[in-house]
Amino acid sequence: MIAMAGKLLLRNWRSGALRLVVGSLLLAVAVVTSVALLADRVERALTEQSATFLAADLAVRGPNPPPLAWQPLSAQSGLASSRIASFSSMVYAGQEMHLAAVKAVDSGYPLRGQVVVSQQPFSQQPEDLQPRSHGPAAGEVWVDARLLPLLNVALGDTIELGATQLRITHVVVTEPDRGGSFSLFGARVLMHYQDLDAAAVILPGSRVNYRFLVAGPADAVASFNRQVTAQLAEGDDQHWQIITPDNAEASIADTVQRGRTFLLLAGSVGVILAGVALALASRQFADAQLAQVALLKCWGVSGARVRRLYAVQLVLLALLGAAAGLLLGWLFHAALLAALADYLPAALPAASWQPWLTGTATGVLALVGFALPALWHLPGLPPLAILRSDITGSPLALAARLAIAVLVAVVLLYSYSASFWITLALLATLAVLAALIASLAVVLLRVARAIGNRLGGVWRMAAANLWRARLQSQLQMLGFAAAIALLLVMTVVRGSLIDEWRWQLADDAPNHFLVNVAPYEIEPVKALLAERQLSSEGWFSMVRGRLVEINGAPPPADLKERHESLNRELNLSWSETLPENNQLVAGDWWPADITRAADEPIPMSIEVELADELGLTLGDEVTFSIGGLRFLAVLVNTRALRWESMTPNFYFLFPEGVLEEFPRSGITSLHIPASEKLVINDLLRRYPTVVVIELDKVISQIQSVVNQVTQGLQMMTGMILLCGVLILYAGVALSMPARLQQSALLRTLGSSRRTVLRVQAVEFALLGGIAGLIAAAAAELSLAAIVEQLFAGGAQLHPWLWLAGPLGGASLVALLGVGYSARSVGLPPLQLLRQLS
Amino acid sequence: MTILQAEQLTKQVAVGGAELRILDGVELSVQRGDSLAIVGASGSGKSTLLGLLAGLDLPTSGRVLLAGEDLSGCDEEQRAALRERYVGFVFQSFQLLPSLTALENVALPLELRGQRDAERDAAQFLDRVGLGERLGHYPRQLSGGEQQRVALARAFACRPEVLFADEPTGNLDTVTGRAVDELLFQLNQEHGTTLVLVTHEEGLAARCSTQLTLDAGRVVGRR
Repeated sequence: MIAMAGKLLLRNWRSGALRLVVGSLLLAVAVVTSVALLADRVERALTEQSATFLAADLAVRGPNPPPLAWQPLSAQSGLASSRIASFSSMVYAGQEMHLAAVKAVDSGYPLRGQVVVSQQPFSQQPEDLQPRSHGPAAGEVWVDARLLPLLNVALGDTIELGATQLRITHVVVTEPDRGGSFSLFGARVLMHYQDLDAAAVILPGSRVNYRFLVAGPADAVASFNRQVTAQLAEGDDQHWQIITPDNAEASIADTVQRGRTFLLLAGSVGVILAGVALALASRQFADAQLAQVALLKCWGVSGARVRRLYAVQLVLLALLGAAAGLLLGWLFHAALLAALADYLPAALPAASWQPWLTGTATGVLALVGFALPALWHLPGLPPLAILRSDITGSPLALAARLAIAVLVAVVLLYSYSASFWITLALLATLAVLAALIASLAVVLLRVARAIGNRLGGVWRMAAANLWRARLQSQLQMLGFAAAIALLLVMTVVRGSLIDEWRWQLADDAPNHFLVNVAPYEIEPVKALLAERQLSSEGWFSMVRGRLVEINGAPPPADLKERHESLNRELNLSWSETLPENNQLVAGDWWPADITRAADEPIPMSIEVELADELGLTLGDEVTFSIGGLRFLAVLVNTRALRWESMTPNFYFLFPEGVLEEFPRSGITSLHIPASEKLVINDLLRRYPTVVVIELDKVISQIQSVVNQVTQGLQMMTGMILLCGVLILYAGVALSMPARLQQSALLRTLGSSRRTVLRVQAVEFALLGGIAGLIAAAAAELSLAAIVEQLFAGGAQLHPWLWLAGPLGGASLVALLGVGYSARSVGLPPLQLLRQLS
Repeated sequence: MTILQAEQLTKQVAVGGAELRILDGVELSVQRGDSLAIVGASGSGKSTLLGLLAGLDLPTSGRVLLAGEDLSGCDEEQRAALRERYVGFVFQSFQLLPSLTALENVALPLELRGQRDAERDAAQFLDRVGLGERLGHYPRQLSGGEQQRVALARAFACRPEVLFADEPTGNLDTVTGRAVDELLFQLNQEHGTTLVLVTHEEGLAARCSTQLTLDAGRVVGRR
């Protein structure tokens, strides 16, 4: 049976009947495999990258020294571990002192990533930067460059920390786990854990943030995570918090998440496009099998045996196609990686087994879902039809085929994306397309026919052809429109995603914050910056105050427990106008000339998410305390902020003329190019109380991740585009026999080759144009859903879609169609007809 | 010895709510090695009768006995088994598979029966019909007459007890048609096959030992 099926398969392949099926299958498996391989490897790289933001694969954070048992527990699982203690402490050098952000690390630190140090304070020159895979030795400290002017010391000098003296051996440029922990405004002092005892700075009740880090094989990390989680749950210990790369750093986690979403979207689009190609190709294959099956039955081959023969053929096809597709997919992904070697990390982690499984499963499932329904009716074919020469067969009802295809698509998409929303959005696109086509295609074809009749000549013939075979036209439009719509969606999603990233991290985006600038220092600091031709993003004043009452009562205990902002001083600021990068969500902004009676509450604006978390709605009253002085404010509007803007943002804003009487300080953000970094030195010498937050280090870390992801995304979009083009080709090829037959007839009747080609060009262009128009509508709809659900943005119209869809569709399909048939049309009509029969 | 027998064969189909009687009480019997020509005007029910006799379709009433087996009492699988054992076909439109060479077209049914030397046997039959030099040619590279000769080789290669031929020369010009006729009867004699054919060609019908004339589904003449 296998040998016979293999023989039939081989003959089918040789005859060309299988070429399109095999091509689509290969394409499906190759695209999915290469996308999955890339996604898997890039994602692993990203996870490793984000692991470096944690300096580990997993960290447990808490206010006490980590339980001693964790070290052997992690060692048993084959994990490396490390301890960190972070706290604020005064450091001294002679007469100078500074409240430093101290971090004590043991010899294992960092488990992931590297500490970059330098002997040249403030230098960002690559030749000065030295990566280290360890922290300072006992007795040494590595410090932020800005500590040197603050304490008036140089490298090699010693500083006092508690009861011990430590020598400064390096300037620390970056630590993998520094992230954006802006709350520690002090300069970094990195010391060895061993020196903590001698320093004796940690006393009972000291505020210390301990971390226990582990790194190693993913399953060992997961097992450690489970065991510690269980231990903590058992002891009802809520002081400890487990941190994984995903939640290590909100902004990085967000970047990784968006990248992952896009990769999966790309992969899912690949699955759908390949499925459409396979369905089209299988129909052609099934048509070619009608005569063979009917003959087999005439010769007494039972229906069951015919079914088995085809089942074995399909299984063989799936296995061979999947194997070749996996290979092709691997080559595809390797070629893309090679092309992008400069942008990707030198050694991407090896892929897991999952992409291979995904590729194989896709091949088998796609064949079952998209090819099998087309062949299903064959064994039931009445042999008598041959005698009557009316071999038409009645394929599985369209509804049944559609249901199977949709079911398989759901299984594939969901197993591939593991995202309900991606599955839903893509399938919704197709459902909308199908519904649109059913209602629109006929209308548009009718319109085309009316116009064609008026125009006459080739237009009349082309439109009439489409109209006559309108069921086939509709089917093809479904394929074309799906491909075009998906391409449009991809283009927009990719564009907006990358634009947003680019915008977030523009080259001249502010990369430094100046905080704690006294009011009398603001003008001189401005002058200093102007002198160095640096411009700030505007100055804001802020006052520190506590939120003490909501609607006349202290915040409920559970809310206080949940929300840190109720337990610490908040930065309050004021503005006459709605600041740039802020968007009003509810309520109205106050007028510039706002006046109010002395006993009226002060109007207040709150960031919308914070307002929601605190349960505040417009009209609620909030009492603040600033240095013991209380005032009442009323919520009049809420705002959305763009934290990525790297400009000062405030949760609480008030009108001008209210808070100015309280002690305040200035804050600004500005871009300092690497070449001008030394200005910080001057600034801190002159104004030692000013705090400089060097975001450039964080930004460059983020940027390297984004660069890699962006490259990955562009490659994938390119591949999906290619896939779409091939599907258009499959659609054109499927309809070719009928078209060529007509061409032969026209040629027989004396039409020139040019006329025949023009008829075909117009016909294909009409087909593609109508499909493109429908695709634009479907893309617009699904974009609204995707943008809303995945990228948390507002939906907007894309006018260019409505131009690009029809024009792109018309020219692409016309080009493919005419390109495909040009050679055949040139043949003598009789030869052509014979080829077709 | 009777190889094929039809008793009170009736076939009705529903057309637009009305019952259309395609065959009406047909009786016939064919002896092994004989040849039967079914003739009649278009729409007289010739091809329908052929389909019923070959077990490709079921009568509304009456029965067909093929080698003593009542086809009406068999299910589709059993009928397929009987076809495999006793029956061969030649079609008006040749029904060669375009994706297979002449040799492969003839060998395919033999291979399906698990015959080991299928291709050698097929080559011999093609040689017998004068196409020994065209084994590797595809149907589209052969003329109509050549294609029907391949079809004859395929039919006889299976060594059927009964060969059903539906207008075997209907698609061929007169001269080529005669050559194919000649070949058909030669092979028939060589293999002692029972021949049942439907034809418009009087000359072809005349070569058969029995002629059955149909009109509107009824037997109106028997010679």
